Amino acid sequence: MTADEYIAVRQYTETEKYNIFDGELMPHIQSMYNFAFRLTQDEDDANDLVQDTYLKAFRFINSFERGTNAKAWLFRILKNSFINDYRRKSKEPSKVDYQEVETYYDSEEMAGTSQTTDLRAETVQELLGDEVTNALNALPVDFRTVLILCDVEGFTYEEMAKILDIPIGTVRSRLHRARMLLKEKLKTYASSMGYDTSEESEDEDSL
Amino acid sequence: MTPMTPESNSSAEAEKVVKKEHCENHAECMKLIQMVLDGEAGTEEIEHVRQNLGKCLPCTNGYNLQKAIKEALQFRVEHKPVPQNLADCIKSKIQNLEK
Repeated sequence: MTADEYIAVRQYTETEKYNIFDGELMPHIQSMYNFAFRLTQDEDDANDLVQDTYLKAFRFINSFERGTNAKAWLFRILKNSFINDYRRKSKEPSKVDYQEVETYYDSEEMAGTSQTTDLRAETVQELLGDEVTNALNALPVDFRTVLILCDVEGFTYEEMAKILDIPIGTVRSRLHRARMLLKEKLKTYASSMGYDTSEESEDEDSL
Repeated sequence: MTPMTPESNSSAEAEKVVKKEHCENHAECMKLIQMVLDGEAGTEEIEHVRQNLGKCLPCTNGYNLQKAIKEALQFRVEHKPVPQNLADCIKSKIQNLEK
């Protein structure tokens, strides 16, 4: 483990450690738990992952500069713990599938615009929260992750690049592909639920 | 902050004549639109997208759809409540570390 989130930059006293932990790290537990749950898709695993992350954070608290972006620092530790300890034992399709998907969507991108035109904004606005959540959860974990970080948690591209250890250009293209995938999921979902997904229909009666 | 949204129905109606039905550069446009919606675009890019939206139907639709999806994720994704004992459990483990 060579990641720079574990390199000590400070030498806090015991009291300072607890103050930072309680004052700056613990307030993010809600976001942390939800991030962990969306990654693992299992309540017990999410619980363990959050505990592991906070224990690591405390152990390496000297590498956290007080008053800086605690949430991004914690998310990065959580993401690394997930990859190292949880991902391999989960049922999540591994990197092979993920590569295939990325290649597939690269070629879709080259093919042009067809995949973006037949889901309407109005249809998406009608979808319920759990329908959106299900579509998000159905995405491969790397795509799910960028959408959670960007849209659910509101991180900037720069923060995401740090959390995920990837260049900003990759953040951008992965987000782009993630959104195309999500559109497909939402479209399939919407049409299976009987929502109107065609572009021209003005079928007011069905409402 | 809504200056990016296509105008109300009536003016959109009036503009329909001039908006192009096909975008020869749509994949690139959508990348720019994404950056604008994510708050990552510079002033020039924002202005470029703004002008383009007034002229191009596929980009307008793409923008509206992307915005709807982003808002759905921002505001409608379910948040799970943190298990009650999680915070206490973490704190007690940390106390024990020290001993």
